[in-house]
Amino acid sequence: MKPLLLAGTITLALIVAGCGADREPQVLNFYNWSEYMPQEVLDRFERETGIEVVYTTYDSNEALYAKLKLLDESSQYDLAVPSTYYVSKMGREGLLAPIDHGKLHGLDQLDPQLRDQAFDPGNTYSVPYLWGTAGIAVDAAAIDPAGITSWGDLWRPEFRGRVMMTNDVRDVFHVGLKLLGHSANSTDPAQIEAAYHKLAELLPSVRTFNSDAPRMPYLEGEADIGMIWNGEVVTGRADLPTLTYIYPREGAALWLDSFVIPKNARNPEAAHRFIDFVLRPEIAALISTEIGYATPNLAARKLLDPAVAADRTLYPQPEDLVNAEFQQDLGDAATLIYHHYWDRLKAGR
Amino acid sequence: MAEVALPPPRHRNLLRSALLGLSWGWLLALVLVPNLLVLAASLLNRDPTHFLQLPLTLDSYRRLLDPLYLRVFLDSLALALATTLGCLLLGYPFAWALSRIDGRWRPLLVFLLILPFWTNSLVRTYAIKQLLAANGPLNGALLALGLIDAPLELLYTQGAVILGLVYLLLPFMILPLYAVFEDLRPELLLASRDLGAGRLATFVHVLIPLTLPGILAGTLLVLLPALGMFYVADILGGARVLLVGNIIKNQFLDARDWPFGAAASILLTAAMALLLFAHRLARRRLRDGEAP
Repeated sequence: MKPLLLAGTITLALIVAGCGADREPQVLNFYNWSEYMPQEVLDRFERETGIEVVYTTYDSNEALYAKLKLLDESSQYDLAVPSTYYVSKMGREGLLAPIDHGKLHGLDQLDPQLRDQAFDPGNTYSVPYLWGTAGIAVDAAAIDPAGITSWGDLWRPEFRGRVMMTNDVRDVFHVGLKLLGHSANSTDPAQIEAAYHKLAELLPSVRTFNSDAPRMPYLEGEADIGMIWNGEVVTGRADLPTLTYIYPREGAALWLDSFVIPKNARNPEAAHRFIDFVLRPEIAALISTEIGYATPNLAARKLLDPAVAADRTLYPQPEDLVNAEFQQDLGDAATLIYHHYWDRLKAGR
Repeated sequence: MAEVALPPPRHRNLLRSALLGLSWGWLLALVLVPNLLVLAASLLNRDPTHFLQLPLTLDSYRRLLDPLYLRVFLDSLALALATTLGCLLLGYPFAWALSRIDGRWRPLLVFLLILPFWTNSLVRTYAIKQLLAANGPLNGALLALGLIDAPLELLYTQGAVILGLVYLLLPFMILPLYAVFEDLRPELLLASRDLGAGRLATFVHVLIPLTLPGILAGTLLVLLPALGMFYVADILGGARVLLVGNIIKNQFLDARDWPFGAAASILLTAAMALLLFAHRLARRRLRDGEAP
């Protein structure tokens, strides 16, 4: 076994050395959410272009932002995938390079409803990758889904101790603000405080907060109703077929993750080529099928399994998204107010 | 033997300086400097684009005086104390039994005690979560035996958090206790019995004072980590309880208020330093008591 291993290592070393000899190997440093890109896509891109993809992951927008901000000058990454409100924040702070639309094919195939949004007018800095919604999950084995239409249903006394919420200040305040008829992006301290008081009434009902894998409390049998991201329902249904997704009438939370190129990227050329590669309908369809979230690529949607394309959990009808709202960057002062009440909410009990 | 094994004196000095230099360098670069950086950060103002800015201020510490954060701190302390008590109650008889077992088996048993450390504590915490879940094996067994009609609410409770912490930290209590029990001479207990002390009196007046160094060391080794392991409370307690660790993490990552996060961190470090100092005092007292 050992000589074999040694021989393999030497061969590998020779191949690497050989590549280095004729030309500088191209590298794409790709910083992405964990479990958010099929290995097959990376392999195919490497085979086709000869560009090696160095793939690193993060688990929150905050971690991505801190890394890009602190390592601003070191140009460690060529490509990243932040959510809407971080695209606007990073764009405003000059951390992003503009996207060269001339190098990309098929931008016009992207859903017009997800293009040219307030967080990045004209898609100057970002190209949509995957998108989804946060709404209500119900275990139909315990609760009749037909009776659940509103975020307010979570407050019903019979669900005490069976409610689950994501462990995310913006998600949770989305529920409180929407229920009171305010925007989920409110920066009005009085509205945020009112939402806090409303949410404080819900807290005794909450069994758990979970943002690692929000499907798990339902699968464990610990929660019957609560908040969830739609892709988690798709994944969770494999183990719990009664898990049902509902678009609340006050409005679901919309999210969209987009490709961006950091200002100091060493290889923006390779980053453009990768974005272009993912814009191909068959690649976008493959990603959506593997990862379980919706693709903004309308041409790719036609290639999906008809059962998936017709799944309202993933691809909502227009009436499902009435009142739905993207999360915007709130600015510094409002962020502090949200966190002030978030700490109070959690410590209040 | 020893003379053959050791290098000549001059080399030995060189080796000693190198090793000392290495450990001092390590402490300086990885303990002192980071802590000073955190201290400096706690005294600055927050800045929306660069995280920190001058001038110096005590504002973050003033904000920590909010009764909300005092309560968070007391909650964290209560949880850590409950964990320590649990570890002591389980670990004390365990360490005693371990020291009384046939010498041939002891290395194996100590090895088994340490074996779980080979698996990441996060993985083990998730395993406990699976065991306690409403449709997990524990509730399943109780239901099958007909002992309960509906699953017990075990997960996402204070009890689950304490159970998880006790499980993770128990070896840190057992090992120092085992060390003192091993050195304990059984004749002392016999003498106590001979002199007319009952079981309880022997325990209170002989055994506890003799094992006190182990109790103190174990308490410290459990209490300090328990104050910081907020992820156990997040996973097993359902993130419903806010602990000092959560505050620090939230302020640094989500709220991007570094000075406030740093101040909370300094408070925690100060509390730990205070405990270490108390431990030192107690040990010195013990040693002085023995000397004459």
